[in-house]
Amino acid sequence: MEDSLQIFLAASERDRPVAFAMVAARLREALDAARYDEAAALLRRAVFPSIDYTSAQALVRLRQKLRGQTASNHKIKLAVLGSFTTKQLVALIDLHLFAMGVEAEIYEGEYGVFRQEILDPTSEFYQFAPKILFLATTWRDLGRRPGFDSDQAAVCSTIQAEQGDWSALWQTAHHHLGCQIIQNNFTIPPWRSFGNHEARHPGSFGKYLTAMNLAVTEAAPPFVTIHDVDHLASTWGRWRWDDPRFFHQAKMPCDPECLVDYSHSVASIIAAQLGLAKKCLVLDLDNTLWGGVIGDDGLGGIRLGQGNPEGEAYLEFQKYVKNLRQRGVLLAVCSKNREETALEVFDKHPEMALRREDISCFVANWEDKATNLRTIAKTLNIGLDSLVFADDNPAERAIARQLVPEVAVPELPEDVTGYVKTLEQHRYFQVLSIGAEDLRRTEYYRSDAMRRDTQASAGDLQTFLQSLEMIARIGPITAVTMERSVQLIQRSNQFNLTTRRRSIAELSALLADKRWISRTVSLADRFGDNGLISVLLAQIREHSLEIDTWLMSCRVLKRGVEAFLLNHLCQVARDHGLNVIRGEYIPTSKNELVRNHYAELGFSKIDDGSEEHTAWELKLADCWRPLPNFIKEETNGGANTK
Amino acid sequence: MVELIRNEVQQVFRDVFGDPQLVLRDDMTANDVEGWDSLQHLNLVIAMEKRLGIKFATAEISRLKEDGQNIGTLLEMVKRKRG
Repeated sequence: MEDSLQIFLAASERDRPVAFAMVAARLREALDAARYDEAAALLRRAVFPSIDYTSAQALVRLRQKLRGQTASNHKIKLAVLGSFTTKQLVALIDLHLFAMGVEAEIYEGEYGVFRQEILDPTSEFYQFAPKILFLATTWRDLGRRPGFDSDQAAVCSTIQAEQGDWSALWQTAHHHLGCQIIQNNFTIPPWRSFGNHEARHPGSFGKYLTAMNLAVTEAAPPFVTIHDVDHLASTWGRWRWDDPRFFHQAKMPCDPECLVDYSHSVASIIAAQLGLAKKCLVLDLDNTLWGGVIGDDGLGGIRLGQGNPEGEAYLEFQKYVKNLRQRGVLLAVCSKNREETALEVFDKHPEMALRREDISCFVANWEDKATNLRTIAKTLNIGLDSLVFADDNPAERAIARQLVPEVAVPELPEDVTGYVKTLEQHRYFQVLSIGAEDLRRTEYYRSDAMRRDTQASAGDLQTFLQSLEMIARIGPITAVTMERSVQLIQRSNQFNLTTRRRSIAELSALLADKRWISRTVSLADRFGDNGLISVLLAQIREHSLEIDTWLMSCRVLKRGVEAFLLNHLCQVARDHGLNVIRGEYIPTSKNELVRNHYAELGFSKIDDGSEEHTAWELKLADCWRPLPNFIKEETNGGANTK
Repeated sequence: MVELIRNEVQQVFRDVFGDPQLVLRDDMTANDVEGWDSLQHLNLVIAMEKRLGIKFATAEISRLKEDGQNIGTLLEMVKRKRG
C-alpha cells in the first residue's frame, strides 16, 4: 500500500496517470473487501491540491463509495449557492474536506438562483439550515457596472450600492441561520478594454473590480470570510484560469484543471473554521534549511546566504518560514544531528535568518524521527495532527508518513527553490483572523520554557506558584475578547470539558440571552503576559448554574486557574441567588486530561447511567469555602458582572 | 498509428469511467457506455485534452455527442488533431 502511494506522490506529471492507476487499483481492492478504514486512510493521502482533474474525479467516485462507512469527529452542514455549475466544485470540496478528516453534508442550490434562495425564507436552503454558506459567485453576478464615461464619484456610488446589495444578502442569511458565510471575491478577467490604461481609467471594468474587491473585504462583518478567488486566478495565470470554452459549454467557472485547487482553497477555509488548521511547522536541518551537512561540512562549509545561488535560495526559504512564525505559526526542529553542532549554526552562522529563539521546540539527536515528532507534539502540548513536517529526505518522509500518519508530510521537490510553493499550495496554516495573540504566540511558548526552568529550581510546587506572582483578569466576553474566545472555542482540544465548537455568530446570539453567563480569564505573571487563556459559558436554569463550556489553554496547566475561576463562579452563582453548579464531561479522543476535572474541584458525580459521559454538581451550602490558589485578581476594571 | 491512438483513448475512457476492463469498439456510442452523461462527457474531454495533448474547440465539444457520432469518428478526430 505504501509503495504505490509513495510512487504516486513523487511521480512527475508524465508518470502520474500510471502511478495513479496503481493507487486506484489498491483503493478499489480495499473497498471491494470492505476494508473501509484502510481505504479511507489511503484515499486521504492520495488527495493533494495539485492533483490533476481526471485523477481527482476518480477519487471523488471512490470517496462516494466510502460515504457513511467511516467515523469522523468533525461533521459540518454546508450549503453552496452559486451562479455557475457547482457540481464538480462541490464534489471536490467534499473530497478535500474528507481528506482533512471532515464529513460534510452538503446542500447544493439550483444553478443561478442564489438570491432567491436567500431572500425566500421558505426556500430549501433555509430548511437545510447549514452552519456554513459558501456563495460561489463571479463577476458575472455583479448587478451594476459603471459606464466607460463614469467619473470617479459615479463609480464610487456604484460600488457603494453594489456593496450594499451583497451585504444585505449576507445579513439576511445570517439573520435566519446564524451561519458563517464564505463569499467569493471577483476575479479580474485577462482582457482589458483600455489596455495598460485599464488600472487608471475611472470607468474601466478592471479598476471597478479591483475597487469592489477592496470594498467587500473591508465591509465584511466577522461572520463573513472573503474567499480570495482572484488570488487563485492570478497565481494560475489569468488566461489559463479563464478558459471560456468550459464556461460556454458547461458554465464551469474556470479551467477544470484549476478547479481542484479552487475547491482546496474553499475546503481549507472550512477546515480552519472547524479548528483543523495546522499549528506547527517542524523542520529538518541539513539540506532543508541550508545546503550541505553541518556535521560533515562545518559552519564554513554549508551553503547559506548571499554569494551562492543555492545559499541564497535557502536563505529565502528561511525568511518565508520566519514570516510564518511572526504571524503565529509555531516552529520546531527535528534533525538527526548532535544538538550542540545543530545549535551552533543558529547561534553563530551570520547568514541565518532563523535564530534559536524562533524555534519553540528544538530536537536534534539520533533517535528516529517518528519518535521525535511525538516528543515535539507532547512538549508543545498540541496534537500530532497539528504538525507539518518538512524534510528534504524522501526516506524520512516515507517513514514519518507510515509511523505517524497524523502528521502532514508534504512532498518537497528536490530543488530548494520549490519549497515555498509546495508549502503554500497545501494551505496548511490557513487563518480566518489574526489577533494580537497570534503575533505573540511564540513568545508565550518561550517564556513557558523559562517558567519550567524556574519550576525545577523552586523546589516544591507551592513555592513555585507563589514565586510566579500571577495576576488574573476575569470578566464576561466583550467585543474585544470575542475573537480570541471563539478561537479557543474552535481550537482547544485537551483542556476542554465538552468540546462544543461555536462560531462568532453562534456565540454572539447566545450571549444576547440574559440567562447565559460568560467568563474569560487572562493571566499574567512575572515572566510575561499569557493573554486570554480560559473561557467558560454557563446557563442559569431555575436554581442552578449549568456549565456548558469550560476550556483552557494548556500552556497554563497546573497553575490553579481552575480553582480561581471556580471561586469566581461560585460568587456569581450566589449573587444570582443560585445554590448549585452543575458541569459535565464529554470524552473525546483528546480530552482525557480533564476526565477528573470536576472531581478534583470537589464536585460530586450525578449518576446518569452512562459511564463515559459524566455529570457533576457542587452544592453551595453555607460550609462551602473558596479553594486555595496563588492567583490575585486584577482590581482595576474588567471584573464587572452581568 | 490508429491502434496506438485507440489504446491511449481507451485508457482515458477506463480512467474516466473507473472501469479497467472497458474495451472500445468503433460503432460504440454514448448510449453503449454506462454513465456517459453530460457531466462525464465533459470529464472525457478534459481528460483527453490533458492526456493526449490535444485541444477541442467549443463547437467540437458539443458535436462529439450528436447523432451519427461514435467512437470511430472520435478516433478520427483525435488522429486529425494529432496531425
